[in-house]
Amino acid sequence: MTQEKRAYKRDVVIEVTASLMFPFILLFGLYVMMGTGGTGGGFQGGTILATGFILYITVFGTDKGREKMPESVNVFFKSFGLFLYNGAGWLCILFSLATAQWLNMPAFWPVTEFTGIAGARGFLIAYMISVGIGLTVMASFVSQYFDLSMKEDDEMDGDEG
Amino acid sequence: MKPLTISGFITAILLIALSIYVVEDLPAFGDENSPVNKYVKLFNVDADGLVESLNAGILPLQIKIKIEDMGFNKEENYPTLEEGNYRIEWSEKGSFEGGRLSEGGWDVLINEGEIFYNELIRYYFIKEENRNLTVYRYNFPVRINELTEEETATINIVTAGLADYRGYDTMGEETVILTGAIGVILLLRRRGRL
Repeated sequence: MTQEKRAYKRDVVIEVTASLMFPFILLFGLYVMMGTGGTGGGFQGGTILATGFILYITVFGTDKGREKMPESVNVFFKSFGLFLYNGAGWLCILFSLATAQWLNMPAFWPVTEFTGIAGARGFLIAYMISVGIGLTVMASFVSQYFDLSMKEDDEMDGDEG
Repeated sequence: MKPLTISGFITAILLIALSIYVVEDLPAFGDENSPVNKYVKLFNVDADGLVESLNAGILPLQIKIKIEDMGFNKEENYPTLEEGNYRIEWSEKGSFEGGRLSEGGWDVLINEGEIFYNELIRYYFIKEENRNLTVYRYNFPVRINELTEEETATINIVTAGLADYRGYDTMGEETVILTGAIGVILLLRRRGRL
């Protein structure tokens, strides 16, 4: 199998459609992820974000996809999501001197000054807990897709040799 | 030993101590008899002449109308407070009856009319404090229904339940996802290629 056959065939229609859809899919993912009033949530939002990246990788190939989503960023997102989630709870517990169970007393949280404890809880749920879940889910999905597609490439190289 | 090892060791010990300190007083979630989960405060009324009525086993009309005005009526599928359908008992704080620990005060037991569980269930309890009667209501799920928006400023009960009330559960789920991703990486990446 020569390099030309294995190279991705460029199709203008598919590439333009994908590049047009990509930012809107990410926007919709953010909307689902942070909109606590709707039926979404962190898991759903993270999956939608991941579908955006998967579309991009499928159309433009793994090399260009790596430019969009480098491995360092992927690893950072994967662990940062979990740290964000745990950090919110731990900060609440620490700042309330261990009287809080999880988020129920974000006592000295800066947001509390403007919104009160209930508003601070809502803020934490929407913008830290859900975002943390979403980032981890997105990075995990994208990483798995990268791994599978690159394994395929490697096997094709092996057949060649 | 290296200073890094020592500082890491001290950090681990501090984190373990903090975890034990936090886990030690965790009872409020899941313990149905803890005060937070057990009851909701409904309203206050003046105690003039109502105590005798309660002692005689009759719910005063004033309290009954107020409870039904709050939406706990037949139209909303709550058990009714009709004559003969309920019983009022004085109970001491801490006595265990009807599957629940009593808070003290007058308990209002209502027959829900179930066919196979035809027993009286504690719904409300009334306490006398400073010449005022305070009406409380038992039940944990109802508390989440009513107080989620007030407590967390989130309209969606399910989101608040997932992220806040059952926060530790979701933390474990997320850890499971991260662990699965790490497992896939370890299985699939054989060539050290990133």
